Amino acid sequence: MSAITTEKVVVQPAVEQRRRLRWHDKLRRDRSLLIMATPAVLLLIVFSYLPMFGLVTAFQQYDIYYGFNNSPFVGGYQFARLFTDRLFWQALENTLVISAVQLVLYFPIPIALALMLNSIMSAKIRSFVQAVVYLPHFFSWVLVITIFQEVLGGAGPINHFLRENGMATWDIMTDPATFKYLVTAQAVWKEAGWGIIVFLAALAAIDQNLYEAAAADGAGRWRRLWHITLPGMRSVIVLLLVLRLGNALTVGFEQMLIQRQAVGRDASEVLDTFAYFYGVVNNNFSYGTAAGVFKGVLSLILIYAANKVAHVFGEDGLYRR
Amino acid sequence: MPDPLKGAATNRRQFLALTGLGALAAASGGALVGCSSNKPSGPGTTSANDLSKILPQYIPNTAVKPDVAGVAGPGGAVSDAVFLKYPSSPVKTVASVPGKGGSYTTMTPLWGAIPPSSGNSYYDAVNKAIGASLKLQPADGNTYGDKLPPLFAADKLPDWIQIPGWNTNNLNFGQGVSKFADLTPYLAGDKVKEYLNLANIPTAAWAPCVWNSKLYGLPVYPGGGGINGAYFFRRDIFEKLGIKADSIKTADDLAALGAQLTSTAANQWAFDDLFGNDAAYICQMFKFPSKWGLDGSGKLIHKYEHEGLIEALNWHAKVVKAGHVHPDAVAGNNQNAKQRFWSGHVTVAADGTGAWNGDDAKSGTAANPNYRRAAFKLLSASGAPTIELRPGAGMFGYLNGNLKPEQIKECLAIANYLAAPYGSAEWLTVNFGTEGDTYTMQDGNPVLTEKGGKEVATTFQFLVTPPTPTTVQAGFVDVAKDYGAWQADMVKYAMKPPFFAMNITEPSQYSSIGQAVNDTITDVKFGRKPISAFQEAVKTWKSQGGDALRAFYEDIRQKYGTGQ
Repeated sequence: MSAITTEKVVVQPAVEQRRRLRWHDKLRRDRSLLIMATPAVLLLIVFSYLPMFGLVTAFQQYDIYYGFNNSPFVGGYQFARLFTDRLFWQALENTLVISAVQLVLYFPIPIALALMLNSIMSAKIRSFVQAVVYLPHFFSWVLVITIFQEVLGGAGPINHFLRENGMATWDIMTDPATFKYLVTAQAVWKEAGWGIIVFLAALAAIDQNLYEAAAADGAGRWRRLWHITLPGMRSVIVLLLVLRLGNALTVGFEQMLIQRQAVGRDASEVLDTFAYFYGVVNNNFSYGTAAGVFKGVLSLILIYAANKVAHVFGEDGLYRR
Repeated sequence: MPDPLKGAATNRRQFLALTGLGALAAASGGALVGCSSNKPSGPGTTSANDLSKILPQYIPNTAVKPDVAGVAGPGGAVSDAVFLKYPSSPVKTVASVPGKGGSYTTMTPLWGAIPPSSGNSYYDAVNKAIGASLKLQPADGNTYGDKLPPLFAADKLPDWIQIPGWNTNNLNFGQGVSKFADLTPYLAGDKVKEYLNLANIPTAAWAPCVWNSKLYGLPVYPGGGGINGAYFFRRDIFEKLGIKADSIKTADDLAALGAQLTSTAANQWAFDDLFGNDAAYICQMFKFPSKWGLDGSGKLIHKYEHEGLIEALNWHAKVVKAGHVHPDAVAGNNQNAKQRFWSGHVTVAADGTGAWNGDDAKSGTAANPNYRRAAFKLLSASGAPTIELRPGAGMFGYLNGNLKPEQIKECLAIANYLAAPYGSAEWLTVNFGTEGDTYTMQDGNPVLTEKGGKEVATTFQFLVTPPTPTTVQAGFVDVAKDYGAWQADMVKYAMKPPFFAMNITEPSQYSSIGQAVNDTITDVKFGRKPISAFQEAVKTWKSQGGDALRAFYEDIRQKYGTGQ
């Protein structure tokens, strides 16, 4: 007990001295950091915070000719409609299911890829593999889906081979039941390579001496992986996991839109396409915005909860407590 | 990352354009005046009696004679005249330079590559000829409808804009049209005599330009034989297989071709999607209205409620199930439908009649030298065929309401130049630019040079267009003859649907009720869901506002008639 008391006594003057710094002293001290942060903050204000005032339309019956000023306020009407709309719940369910599938099947892949890449010794082979797995990230979704259709579609080489050899065809591109796996596979092909960059950085930050020391103590490859590599990456993995959960309700707008005809609405409608079709396409901006607000609030709760859980397990999460 | 919420993005633009002030102020202001100023607006419709007082007089230009004259059918339908050669000494229809040096912003849709805006000698040539500066701003036609509401909301409309008729639904246009200049004082009745090339546009094309008993629009690509589309087949492949296209008369005949024309080993399928977006193509074959029709007792009936649509869905699902529809079509890929047809992977495809032209033949013969497109004569599931006529124009140019009378007059004089008929000197300039630079005459017809291919696009023509005859493109004379003959036969079966060429703005609260039915139709036509799912969706549609819409249209019928 006494040790703690002593410590407090020692610490307190430092804290008070820090508080006593006047704001312009602080400003001078952090000048360069603040200047560096300014553009990002401005972007956030202009493109994220100011537009949030537009959310007021969710509580209106917005009409383009009356604008924000004169469109009538309808309170929670749009939300009441939303919550009794079977199609909305279907969109939410699809979003959550696809998100869950992606979390389980997609999230670990960049980590595994990064570990694999890290274990390749030849710099030449490593940069070649890196180039190959990064490339699909730069393709548009239209291109990615066209490639999938060309290869796996009913007229593609695989089905051609199956058909000509008297076997049943594989309708993966138009099967609503397996659509969630199809979109995950597409996401893995397109983005998993790009996703390894952060993990590679985390791997590079691990002290090489630890490996040497462990090897000298007789730790094998797997033990080193388990006791050094993974713990070293843990904080980055947790951070990305928390961010991923905050984005859980964003599962890909274009990807769903392009494949809507192929598998139908029941499989491909997610919150983003719902807001697009019922908001923008059919001139019902208030309804679409209400769906967007719902999504935003839910995302906020998710990211808050995930961060809490991270803190409980002693991780940093999004910020240090 | 995809845009998480496109609606919010649109709102953001609207918001920033509307106000720099805090939206809380805006919101509280809205609460005060919101309800009082939001009067319901009317449907924008005009009675036949009012229409007759407003429509410009029709003074046809007879200076050039077509090789094949248009053929008249019932309901005012008339096929397009056919020209096989451009007149060797084109007439001048505009005496002096129409413009007074004014400068005007424009916006038009474009389905294709957007040409360069600076250093474009075609743009420069036309602007020089009209004596004014039209600043062309073509925008992607496929997403044009999404761009319009923010423009209206922010009051950022250009001086001259083209709006396709199918995009007006989302704009509450009966109200929105008041942002444009009323052209009645300039063009109604015999006032149009000041603009003789505009007077050469038939009356049927002006009718859909009228809203709220005022003339607002300028017709774009007017025609007397407009229809949704046709069922095309590869004539060369049919001839090779010995199939007589004229013997195909019914939906069953067509379906029966499936097995014969499908050879998966050779990567050939009989059909593409034969349904069309919103049943646009198949409604002709199964004789149901493309929107509203009348049942036996004279009651208004929506296509969703028509027996014909159920038959069509069953028929299409059967054809898909038999494996006779190209898998990419079943996967909803419509962008490559033309490539599939050109390459022969598909032998029968539904498409708009605009697909049948010289440029198509050029692309098709590049893939296969024997390529020849033809269309079936009108098919019918039972009885004699009929086909719904579309209004005399489907797209319209509008002048901004903020223009001064002098500016409106200058724009109309320019419009008169742009509307110079086929066969005139001005038409060549507007459509092809300068001879020797962007086009040359080959076998008596204008053909774009390589430079012209890059710089010339449908831009000025989308502001206002003269009556459009069938002409020889890219040197394919047979294509013009084939299409002319097919159209002359087709117009014999034309009929006007209820509310023909009438502008009607539906109440916006029903704007999204059709989405769920449409989605279900897609599922059923590809065989993913049973027909009962469609019937269920229609039941919901009726209760959500379908029946109310019928009452709305019934009211229109009482007040304004049905445009027959």
